[in-house]
Amino acid sequence: MKTLDIARKDLLRSSRSFSVWVFGLAVPLLTSGIFFFAFGGLGDGGFDLPVTQVVVANLDSPVNGFSAGQLLLNFLKAEDFKEILAVSEVADAVTARRVVDQQQAGLAVILPADLTAALVRPGERAVVELYQDPTLTLGPGIVSGIIGQFVDGLIGSNIAANVVTAQLARYGHPIDAATSQAIAVEYGRWAAALGAHQQQETSALLEIHRPAVEPGSEDVRSRIVSLIMAGMMVFFVFFTGAASAENLLAEEEAGTLARLFTTPTPISAILAGRMVATLVTLILQVVMLVTASALLFHVHWGSPAPAMGVAAGMILLAAGFGLFLTSLLKDRRQGGLVYGGVLTVMGNLGMINIFTAQVAGPARQIFDTLSLLVPQGWAVRGWQLLQAGGGIGDVLVTVLVMVSLAGVFFAAGLLRFRKRFA
Amino acid sequence: MNGQPAIQVRDLHKRFGDLHAVKGISFTVPAGQIFSLLGPNGAGKSTTISILSCLLQPTSGDALVMGHSVQREPMAVKAAIGVVPQEIALYEDLSARENLDFWGKMVGLRGAALRQRVDEVLEIIGLADRQKGRVAKFSGGMKRRLNIGIALLHRPQVIIMDEPTVGIDPQTRRNILDSVKELNRQGMTVLYTTHYMEEAQELSDQIAIMDQGRIIAQGTHQDLVQIVGELDRVDLTLNALPDWVTDRWQQIPGVQKVIVGAPSHPQATDGERTVTLLVDDSNLVLPRLFESATQAGVRITSVTIQEPNLEAVFLHLTGRALRDE
Repeated sequence: MKTLDIARKDLLRSSRSFSVWVFGLAVPLLTSGIFFFAFGGLGDGGFDLPVTQVVVANLDSPVNGFSAGQLLLNFLKAEDFKEILAVSEVADAVTARRVVDQQQAGLAVILPADLTAALVRPGERAVVELYQDPTLTLGPGIVSGIIGQFVDGLIGSNIAANVVTAQLARYGHPIDAATSQAIAVEYGRWAAALGAHQQQETSALLEIHRPAVEPGSEDVRSRIVSLIMAGMMVFFVFFTGAASAENLLAEEEAGTLARLFTTPTPISAILAGRMVATLVTLILQVVMLVTASALLFHVHWGSPAPAMGVAAGMILLAAGFGLFLTSLLKDRRQGGLVYGGVLTVMGNLGMINIFTAQVAGPARQIFDTLSLLVPQGWAVRGWQLLQAGGGIGDVLVTVLVMVSLAGVFFAAGLLRFRKRFA
Repeated sequence: MNGQPAIQVRDLHKRFGDLHAVKGISFTVPAGQIFSLLGPNGAGKSTTISILSCLLQPTSGDALVMGHSVQREPMAVKAAIGVVPQEIALYEDLSARENLDFWGKMVGLRGAALRQRVDEVLEIIGLADRQKGRVAKFSGGMKRRLNIGIALLHRPQVIIMDEPTVGIDPQTRRNILDSVKELNRQGMTVLYTTHYMEEAQELSDQIAIMDQGRIIAQGTHQDLVQIVGELDRVDLTLNALPDWVTDRWQQIPGVQKVIVGAPSHPQATDGERTVTLLVDDSNLVLPRLFESATQAGVRITSVTIQEPNLEAVFLHLTGRALRDE
């Protein structure tokens, strides 16, 4: 009975603590909210890049009916670029530059008269001029990249024609300039077609097959925000576990703990009361964070039954680890350093596989292993498995590890505190 | 009460590593008395109190509270005592009533009995009209009263008060002293520690003077004062202090003890020195003191004469003043 009385008192005090509300609930939600909105929350789920106005002065002269300039112009006007580029044509280079100077366009592309000739005739050279509004960076940068990629492909046709001509001559089959030019033109067409395919993420030589995915899981923003929210929850739940155990030190310093020891209340009841309060606080925190994040940010927490298992494991582990960590401390002054430093480092280490979610290969394994060196990493792993669609079988080992670790930490912490207060 | 002493302390020792904080003290507090442990800071009073409150285990010896050993039956001891710690030990983010409710449950009160007793204690400590106020908003005096009130909740047979008047204003101090007397009138045994001689003198049926872990004198106020007999205490402030003063004044007939530098006289200013003498009759001795001072060119700037008291006893027994520590 006294255990519950102590727990009730601690919960009442916690409910009146500003920091409990701020760090237990507001900060993790706020952090996830920042990522949610940063990734276009409440919008259509994609990035909104401004449309860059591009003017093209196509002075290129065709060779044998092939015009690299026209090809590039068509490429820039393609349907797929309409969301980021608005392409218009002007008659000459001077007009194109003037339009940019007057900030009616962000970029002028001036295709020289000898562009095609330079690409199909050996030894010739031409320069595509990009004239850019210096106040803009992103849009012109994207266009520069697109044009660079396109021109690189066409240059390849020139190189290919030269190589073919040289090889045929070496084996006693010299070809004339017209044939060499025809080869370059054909290669140029092929390169242009390849560029168009790449733009559609397909290749004449390569087929990409994606594995079947569940409907809705393609939402990148939702996945990122869900992962971050899970990481934030783990991070702050462990803080709450430690801060809740720290109340023992606070009571020790305030003299109320010594006063409790002068009442006919066993030490075990006092420690148990503290633990009950910690567990209830953590349960409330997790329920509120999961509910609020699901409603506000559409965070996907996985199936209810395994999610409850992971949550229970995480709560026990956070409470046990907090108790153990606090039992190592002499006073609350040390607590500031340990909670601020050790828990932050451990929390970030536990979340390292969230930060490095895009990394693949051997490094992926290293990050996954590193994160499991700290208790927080196991909790993060549990939520990651759930968010990837895992069921009870997938998270069972993780939950068992968490519960086992919690048992070890609880036992060590309680023993240390009992010895300290004996 | 069956004539059983409320507290019996037997050859109690407590060591903290190399520090021998309590060196074999023994005393008995009859039920229904106010017993004071008087001594300077570091005398071992709080350590003794902590052992009696079951917060510390003695290194050797034992103490019985209402017949229960602090070592073998700590829960029975805790049920019999109410402890008022030196520092205010309250939950500042709870109200006065919430504090009393919680501490009442910790001493086994429940339901209607708890509510009734909390109401009574709120009346006793004069906080009935502020019972819903957060303790953090209370004045120091109100916190002190609540600090005492918590110890009264279960009507303990023995109240242990560890220097409850340290650092508080005179009015609150007066209230606390009156409360202690009232509790005693209601039949409670009070063990009271203080380094204020006046408090021990006013409150106590018996006083034990502690110094450096030992009880150096014990008895009623009258018993203790008899140790210094009818000696008067004379505090002098001098504008200078030649080396010869102690030896020469010690030779004056009627001077029993000369202590240089203790305690400071309230009127002393920078550069002045103080000398305290224990004398048989101040009327006979004072002219001789003035005479020798004049001969040596030393000016006596103030004189204070006190009747025999506990301060003089402590001075007599230790050569030091209670409040110099």
